[in-house]
Amino acid sequence: MIHSVQNIVIVGGGTAGWLTAGVIAARHQGRIQAGTFTVTLIESPNVPIIGVGEGTWPTLRTTLEKMGVSETELFRHCDAAFKQGARFARWTTGAEDDGYYHPLMLPQGFTQVNLVPHWLEDEKGRTFCDAVTPQGALCDDGLAPKTITTPEYQAVANYAYHLDAGKFAPFIQKHCTMKLGVRHVLADVQTVNRAENGDIKSLTTEQAGEIAGDLFVDCTGFRSLLLGQALGVGFKDCNDVLFCDTAMAMQVPYESADAAMASHTISTAHSAGWTWDIGLPTRRGIGYVYSSRHISDERAEEELRRYIGPQAKGLTPRKIPIRSGHRQTFWKNNCVAVGLASGFLEPLESSAIVLVELAAKLIAEQMPANREVMDVVAARFNDVNHYRWGRIIDFLKLHYVLTKRPEKFWQDNTDPATVPDRLKNLLHLWKYQPPWFFDEFDRIEEVFPAASYQYVLYGMGFRTEVMPGDTSGTRSAAATYMNENVAMTRKLRTQLPKNRELVKKIHEYGLQTI
Amino acid sequence: MTKVELLNNHTHRDLKVQAGAAARYGDNQRFVAVIAGEFPHLAVHYPILLTKDQDTGAFFIGAMLGFDEGENLFLDQRGMETYRPLNLQRGPFFTAGNEVAIDLDSPRIDDAGKPLFTESGEPTQYLQSIMALFRDLKPGLEVTKNFVETLSRLKLIEAIDIDLAFDDGTKRRLDGLYTINQDVLRGLPDANVIDLFRRGYLQLIYLMMASLKQVPVLARRKNDALLKATSLLSV
Repeated sequence: MIHSVQNIVIVGGGTAGWLTAGVIAARHQGRIQAGTFTVTLIESPNVPIIGVGEGTWPTLRTTLEKMGVSETELFRHCDAAFKQGARFARWTTGAEDDGYYHPLMLPQGFTQVNLVPHWLEDEKGRTFCDAVTPQGALCDDGLAPKTITTPEYQAVANYAYHLDAGKFAPFIQKHCTMKLGVRHVLADVQTVNRAENGDIKSLTTEQAGEIAGDLFVDCTGFRSLLLGQALGVGFKDCNDVLFCDTAMAMQVPYESADAAMASHTISTAHSAGWTWDIGLPTRRGIGYVYSSRHISDERAEEELRRYIGPQAKGLTPRKIPIRSGHRQTFWKNNCVAVGLASGFLEPLESSAIVLVELAAKLIAEQMPANREVMDVVAARFNDVNHYRWGRIIDFLKLHYVLTKRPEKFWQDNTDPATVPDRLKNLLHLWKYQPPWFFDEFDRIEEVFPAASYQYVLYGMGFRTEVMPGDTSGTRSAAATYMNENVAMTRKLRTQLPKNRELVKKIHEYGLQTI
Repeated sequence: MTKVELLNNHTHRDLKVQAGAAARYGDNQRFVAVIAGEFPHLAVHYPILLTKDQDTGAFFIGAMLGFDEGENLFLDQRGMETYRPLNLQRGPFFTAGNEVAIDLDSPRIDDAGKPLFTESGEPTQYLQSIMALFRDLKPGLEVTKNFVETLSRLKLIEAIDIDLAFDDGTKRRLDGLYTINQDVLRGLPDANVIDLFRRGYLQLIYLMMASLKQVPVLARRKNDALLKATSLLSV
């Protein structure tokens, strides 16, 4: 007898759980309305939500739009603001003026010509970022990436959001239960009941009895109640590559209600880690991510307070342990983990929510019709996710390996023994050819495209040897794109409003849907 | 700069206002906000389109009078022979509550213009016509706003790209303009259609659709103007 997959049970009511529920329910809305498919989310009334991640990726726009969420409502209910990338300050030399952008826009003409060698040949006193995209200048000016007349989810300059993760999960929950037909059960899971083949048959809950399902999604956070605890899938640490194991966070008020709000994340290197600085309309979220092997909590708190300045007075930091790594397998039997249950990496490139989106999308799009084909989908899911986690770890490590900072934390990071082989090989290759399309970044849903590597590499002073004559064939095309960039930068700087001004307007008037 | 005051027959007794249409008085507008009551007059001359308020992003409806900034193709030395939208007709006047206000810095205020009050302080025929205009315009704004909100709610608005090439070799690309989405209109549930009909919106929708035929007419007007300018130059 063919066992069809019709009832999806998600455990965990944080960002991962509700986003996954929303993505699956939106994709299978037809079947839900026909009564042949259900999505149930079980949330413990007693477990607090961690709410990791206040930074997101531009993918969230598509994800929310597909779910039918109003962007105006997102701004109004989640304390959201625009994010156009990140600025990495003091990562290379540690000097006052040391810094570079990793913007969200691709370099001009990225699909046509690789601008890197052309910029290397003649930098004309510009950073790589400023030579190829207007976005760094827009961030310098604190501008929004669109105007009040730009429709919802559309961009003038590519963007993501900074948002209050604690408000985001309830916001998505409301949409899922009111609009998408997701069943919400408030109950504590007591027992995970297994079938003979090892599958999860049902969950026994304290308040709602037994809940059966065909596919179980583990969104229970670090505990990984289903995949980790019940199915015994181990955790693969990656603290040999990424050393940070502690975060110390503060919510810092603005000096005034009208204070400028940065439209990018400011990531500043310190003696044994780095701080994030995320501007929400009502406050800044600031936190120090550090390696406890290299600095004491007391010293870390001192550095954090020094960074924040007088605004830190009277605030108590919240200490959060970080365990960088991921499950050895992500989908086993009829159980798949999403979010913290699948793993966590330091939030250097805001990879937490985007990984949830990508995993949820893959589950929704590849939803196995029946148990018999589930293992094929699971194998594919595992393959893709191993690749993704590996690539993200590589990309995060890239930020550390090019540093010239003298502190032990930074010097330890440059030890070749701590650099993954794939990254080591690529760094070798990139000495002679800059990353572009034909690198291995060929997956459809690559988290960080070759452009991201370009911004970090050349932002940190990495140099690729350009062979004489190699650029002559594309020189005029490259010049055209770089000139277009100058014109576009000038135009956007005069057209776009300030980040805070636009967010205020969205609260007041809303964005149109077209 | 504007200096707006409530109109009264004391302070403004001797004020005179130029009522005619002329570029120097501000009739040189390519897009003028209009109200629903004007649609029948407008549709026979101008495209009636939606655009967004630059400050709020909100949709509003207007008549398109030209293509370039400050271009009203229906304006010539003699004024505007075709229907002149109320927002141009009202000249320097505004409403403030139930009263009429006037912008004293308007270039229309001119001793060669029409008087507002008679010797005895009564409103002249001209001022009476302005007061009558506001009796249409004020409630009309509310009706039109509701109409636009209904269009938006029913997803009946779609962007329209207007690309034009003129005989003098120049091109125009107009964006930020919107019209009725006819596919959505055709697919509307019966209940919505009846509601639109009862509220008089269906007629407005059809007038907007019909007015699209004025785009090529307007383009021809522009083309003629451009050719005239070039032939004058070459003479």
